[in-house]
Amino acid sequence: FQAPAYHLILEGILILWIIRLLFSKTYKLQERSDLTLKEKEELIEEWQPEPLVPPVPKDHPALNYNIVSGPPTHIITVNGKECINFASFNFLGLLDNEKVKSAAQASLKKYGVGTCGPRGFYGTFDVHLELEERLAKFMRTEEAIIYSYGFATIASAIPAYSKRGDIVFVDEAACFAIQKGLQASRSNIKLFKHNDMADLERLLKEQETEDQKNPRKARVTRRFIVVEGLYMNTGDICPLPELIKLKYKYKVRIFLEESLSFGVLGEHGRGITEHFGINIDDIDLISANMENSLASIGGFCCGRSFIIDHQRLSGQGYCFSASLPPLLAAAAIEALNIMEDNPDIFRTLRAKCEHIHKALQGISGLKVVGESFSPALHLQLEESCGSRENDVKLLKRVVDYCMNSGVALTQACYLEKEEKCLPPPSIRVVITVEQTEQELDKAASLLKEAAQSVLN
Amino acid sequence: QKNGVSNGTLYKKTFIEHFEQAPMYVAVFTFVGFAVGTIFGYLRDFMRAWGLEKRNIAAEREQQKDFVPLYQDFENFYTRNLYMRIRDNWNRPICSVPGPQFDLMERVTDDYNWTFRFTGRTIKNVINMGSYNYLGFAETDVNALKTVTRELEKYGTGVCSTRQEMGTLDKHVELEKLVATFLGVEDAMVFGMGFATNSMNIPALVGKGCLILSDELNHTSLVLGARLSGATIRIFKHNNMQSLEKLLRDAIIYGQPRTHRAWRKIIILVEGIYSMEGSIVRLPEIVSLKNKYKAYLYLDEAHSIGAVGATGRGVVEYFGMSPDDVDVLMGTFTKSFGAAGGYIAGKKGLVDFLRTHSHSAVYATSMCPPVAEQIIRAMKCLMGLDGTTQGLQRVRQLEKNTRYFRRKLHEMGFIIYGNDDSPVVPLLLYMPGKIGAFARRMLEKNIGVVVVGFPATPITESRARFCVSAAHTREMLDKVLNALDELGDYLQLKYSRYSKSSHPELYEETRLELED
Repeated sequence: FQAPAYHLILEGILILWIIRLLFSKTYKLQERSDLTLKEKEELIEEWQPEPLVPPVPKDHPALNYNIVSGPPTHIITVNGKECINFASFNFLGLLDNEKVKSAAQASLKKYGVGTCGPRGFYGTFDVHLELEERLAKFMRTEEAIIYSYGFATIASAIPAYSKRGDIVFVDEAACFAIQKGLQASRSNIKLFKHNDMADLERLLKEQETEDQKNPRKARVTRRFIVVEGLYMNTGDICPLPELIKLKYKYKVRIFLEESLSFGVLGEHGRGITEHFGINIDDIDLISANMENSLASIGGFCCGRSFIIDHQRLSGQGYCFSASLPPLLAAAAIEALNIMEDNPDIFRTLRAKCEHIHKALQGISGLKVVGESFSPALHLQLEESCGSRENDVKLLKRVVDYCMNSGVALTQACYLEKEEKCLPPPSIRVVITVEQTEQELDKAASLLKEAAQSVLN
Repeated sequence: QKNGVSNGTLYKKTFIEHFEQAPMYVAVFTFVGFAVGTIFGYLRDFMRAWGLEKRNIAAEREQQKDFVPLYQDFENFYTRNLYMRIRDNWNRPICSVPGPQFDLMERVTDDYNWTFRFTGRTIKNVINMGSYNYLGFAETDVNALKTVTRELEKYGTGVCSTRQEMGTLDKHVELEKLVATFLGVEDAMVFGMGFATNSMNIPALVGKGCLILSDELNHTSLVLGARLSGATIRIFKHNNMQSLEKLLRDAIIYGQPRTHRAWRKIIILVEGIYSMEGSIVRLPEIVSLKNKYKAYLYLDEAHSIGAVGATGRGVVEYFGMSPDDVDVLMGTFTKSFGAAGGYIAGKKGLVDFLRTHSHSAVYATSMCPPVAEQIIRAMKCLMGLDGTTQGLQRVRQLEKNTRYFRRKLHEMGFIIYGNDDSPVVPLLLYMPGKIGAFARRMLEKNIGVVVVGFPATPITESRARFCVSAAHTREMLDKVLNALDELGDYLQLKYSRYSKSSHPELYEETRLELED
């Protein structure tokens, strides 16, 4: 049985065609490497990058910064002139406390200055462990963890728990460190209007309806609310009891940033949870920096061990950075001792805040923004004069007037292009326990004068 | 295999780096070790889930049990089952200055590393091969710390304000001038934390529409800064100039992906010395590439400032180049200066821009004055401004110690990575079981070492990392080397096939310059 001739011819042609296809060049749909070597060299020659940094005008306000000679204590020497300090966040006056300094000196003699390593590689000192225990005991939580930089505390804590795909509800007036933490976490961010619980509830309800459409995804999506105890940008407090109710109703975890309220609010200075009388276990994570009330450097997070222990392996600012110098940790421990031994300084501080809040009412052209017991107030212009630049210039003249007459103030500084919700320009007024009644009155009357002469 | 590059005019001295591959059986056994650990891990998880074994981890609150779980069980598998077994080798607390010798707090565990308790005793005079104390400035000598004590008394410990508001002290101005003089540049700016220096300033320099070319093994702070900036990131193979050149050419020729618009600017992120490999960046080649393709160079000298170079000025001096070749010089003060914080230095325009636009200047507290004073005194000592030659002696001592230590380890037959001149010495262990054994045995011999495994290193390449210091004496180094010799034989760590010890008669060299 032999195949017919046309079969053999057809198969022969087919085999030759297959061989041709196998050995021919592949072609792509989009011709990418069309350029000759000469054209490539020309492109490389022609390309001009932008300059690395754009030129900064010489009269940029941030280049003419204030230089402080000597320690930034109650009486501060700014640009050569002695003034009363209303600009440093030294709420409890512990910056030049003798006991704190001598504790730091003792630590310096024993440990030197730096720790020369991260916490994992022989950078853990017994003072760090002691400080963590003391902070946990003071705040009445199970565990605390220390960071060596205040900004890095919340900016490392948030991405350790919240990852891509998780949802975070955050207040509009959150500070820049929180914004950076959220950006690093790559989660979905939902902003709600400042202190507006109705807006937050609306967002939570929307999320609930979304969940019902896709219950499998909802079961693994974590949700968080990030709020501050005492907001740096607006000076008011968050309504924590309502937040707790929302937490249990919609099953969201709460992260509380207490940099300004730690050591200020509450009967013993434990912050906003003590102020409202809330059980501290209801808050999942409290983060604060030690650079305000404790007059040291660094920050800490406290909460239950279940939550805090995770940061020891996944908090980037903790694992990959050198630990806090021991002299600063010793100073913080001594400051905590002073806070525990003198619980009436908190009441004194709040009384002074009320005093100046009242005294600053009624300045023509400037309005006071902030709670009456907040030690960091803002003075904003009642009417803006058109552009932010002009507002800033006007406020600078007010500040200069006060500085020339012996009261050191500063404007609140922001990065205008980077903030999500830029607050209006304002003068920052900071109250400390060391300021006397006369000094508070002097500052208030000076501000009235300055407003009169500059704004009218 | 060694790769010694004598690239004609670019390199003024020989550049020798080692990255020897281990024999195949080592990789096989490493994988077997991890597999055994994983199987046991599944077994233990199973027993814990069924209540046959006690759960030792902290648990969620009762009231919040119906919330979405905070951690995925699988994410923590490695932590629970593999890391937990050898956890006692990390986070060891010390209670003295981290100098060439320190005191460790004795720590025991009753339940296989789930919890620790302190016995109250201290292990005294443990040789410190783990702290980043390259020039030995971590000291408590009263004379040396005289000025720091004085400044602490004067200024206290806090600053309580940001650089742009009321936080710029005269100490910062003094320090910045000194740093600029030390490095030979126009101006410098200092920040309170080294990690934050990278993560807060890279976003200020680049943004959307820019391209970042970053080395494979860059530190987390550089990666975080690059991610936060919003620019496109492309990675080139570690210290591989062909890979970098290809990326540069492709970037300029083809532009941005999809739209093919030109890139606004291209910035190359490299480190001076890589802390896990011990390799030194190939700076002359990178600078010539950067000049040819008009890119910008950001050099992170965290480990190399003070540690390499004839007078301790870092890799720029090591290669005999001028600081003008690098656009952004960044470094930290934690390692060689025994303090804390970071700096960025360069042209005045760059530093002025950072003063106005850096996130750290506007939102973060400035450096604390006693720490600034420690950096000032260390730098003055290095520059010789305190009237002694102590600074130069320290740099020379570090160089001698590094060469001696590395040469001896090579002779003994260990696999060491990195450049011959880098004080960071990674010694390869490979197998997971040896990580724990090595660190514990060295502690028994009173030597503190640092071991690293996955995920800081590739899974098959766990290592022990030694940091040589100028404060180590010859006796301390000999003690460490003898201990390593013994332990290397006991744990069979001498994997190198090129060790000189196999033919001692052929390598009878007399290195006169090291023996004085």
